[in-house]
Amino acid sequence: VSAIYLDNAATTAVDPRVVEAMLECLGAEGDFANPAAVAHEPGRRAHRRIEQARAEVAAMVGADPAQIVWTSGATEADNLALLGAARFYHTKGRHLVTSRTEHPAVLEPCRQLEREGFEVTYLKPAADGIVEPWQVEAALRHDTILVSLMHVNNEIGVVQDVGAVGRLCRERGILFHVDAAQSAGKLPIHVERDCIDLLALTAHKLHGPKGVGALCVRREPRLGLVPLLRGGGQERGLRPGTLATHQVVGMGVACRIAAEVREEESARITSLRERLWQGLSGLPGVMLNGHPTQRAPGILSVTIDGVEGESLLYALPELAVASGSACATTSAEPSYVLRALGRSDRLAQSSLRLSLGRYTTGTDVELAVRSIRRAVERLRAVAPGSAG
Amino acid sequence: LNRDDPRYGAEVRRRMAGLVGAGEFAPGAGVAQARAGDREQGAEVQLQVRVEAGRAVELRFLAFGCPHFIAAASWLTDRLRGATRAGFEGWDWREAAAALEVPPAKFGRLLVLQDAVRTLAGNWPGENGSTV
Repeated sequence: VSAIYLDNAATTAVDPRVVEAMLECLGAEGDFANPAAVAHEPGRRAHRRIEQARAEVAAMVGADPAQIVWTSGATEADNLALLGAARFYHTKGRHLVTSRTEHPAVLEPCRQLEREGFEVTYLKPAADGIVEPWQVEAALRHDTILVSLMHVNNEIGVVQDVGAVGRLCRERGILFHVDAAQSAGKLPIHVERDCIDLLALTAHKLHGPKGVGALCVRREPRLGLVPLLRGGGQERGLRPGTLATHQVVGMGVACRIAAEVREEESARITSLRERLWQGLSGLPGVMLNGHPTQRAPGILSVTIDGVEGESLLYALPELAVASGSACATTSAEPSYVLRALGRSDRLAQSSLRLSLGRYTTGTDVELAVRSIRRAVERLRAVAPGSAG
Repeated sequence: LNRDDPRYGAEVRRRMAGLVGAGEFAPGAGVAQARAGDREQGAEVQLQVRVEAGRAVELRFLAFGCPHFIAAASWLTDRLRGATRAGFEGWDWREAAAALEVPPAKFGRLLVLQDAVRTLAGNWPGENGSTV
């Protein structure tokens, strides 16, 4: 018996077509050679596959292939963008703007930059999780060098208007970085149209492999970055190290498939998410976290009053879902994202994130609704003040 | 599907599966009640004991909290059956910590249970007239 997988915001299953392409790059008969070794034919074959993948990733976000820098994932891409750009442009200014609900892959580099003498303004989103463009505009200063805003929040699924923020940054000559880990391949995003200078991507959220991502870097005019690593000069010196051909190829295929099926798949997943919400919203004390309509197709975050989050997860062994707490250890800290939206610690801990993906079915949704309703009723029945 | 979750020991799993002792007694003579904890802090419990001839003959619990906390409340309803008031007064949370393999980060929640048990001792039926 396996659990119904509703944790696609954490990671997704690799598409079989991606697996097939990756396997072609591993064995002795495959394209396993070092793609930097273009002096021989196997190396050139691997190099061609890398460049094909680069083109596939670039096409998904409206970029030129030369803008793509391979990384180990979105965390590294975010770090390279923030630390690299801030350190390169430190003589121009030492102020950055971001939001309180960003992923730690953005918040932690911001804290590191504060230790290095930079100032960071952390914008507070409204109770619906939205950071309005006017808030960004109001936070800009003469010495602001970079704004960082995630496209889709990983916990609550709200979508930020990155196009509007990008335009106001571009008008002022301020760099704009977007973490698109949760949105790429699911929502339209276009680095030129949305005036994005630095775009962080990852493969494993869109049915590609873990361990590979990319940073899309503006080329016209060329944007400066101080690399995090020193080594052999790969990726124009921005990210040295031998490329993992099978991972990169997997990301390319995953992005190509995602771009091909995006509209149809997003509509189907949005419909399933709405069914899930309809099924849960009938329970007393259930609240939706985040904006009701400005949200990504596959992420539903709910707070369920009257049950404790860890016990709720425990009571749902048949579901693979995430709670509203860090929950990496036995000490479960309430989610800082939900707290930033105004939820109390208790309500933040009584929250579930259900995230749907390519392989989620209507039956999965129906079973999940039934399981959650049953678990909530059972836990409420044994809570003080709730017994009938 | 929880059987391989390393955070929970066998006793927690057994207690959470059955929720033995959950519920409330009907109001009546010989029954004492205590509440402790705070839902806002993540742990709240109601304990009841029915006493006959100076001994606890049955206990009931209601609890809001993590699986360790709920399981510990359930475990108490068996552990304290047959105990006298003095047994309630002297009960120590460390016994539950050991029996249920509670991680140190959650020890504070067991103190909530200890508070409830000692309050029950104070409300012991027949001693000062406290009944539900």
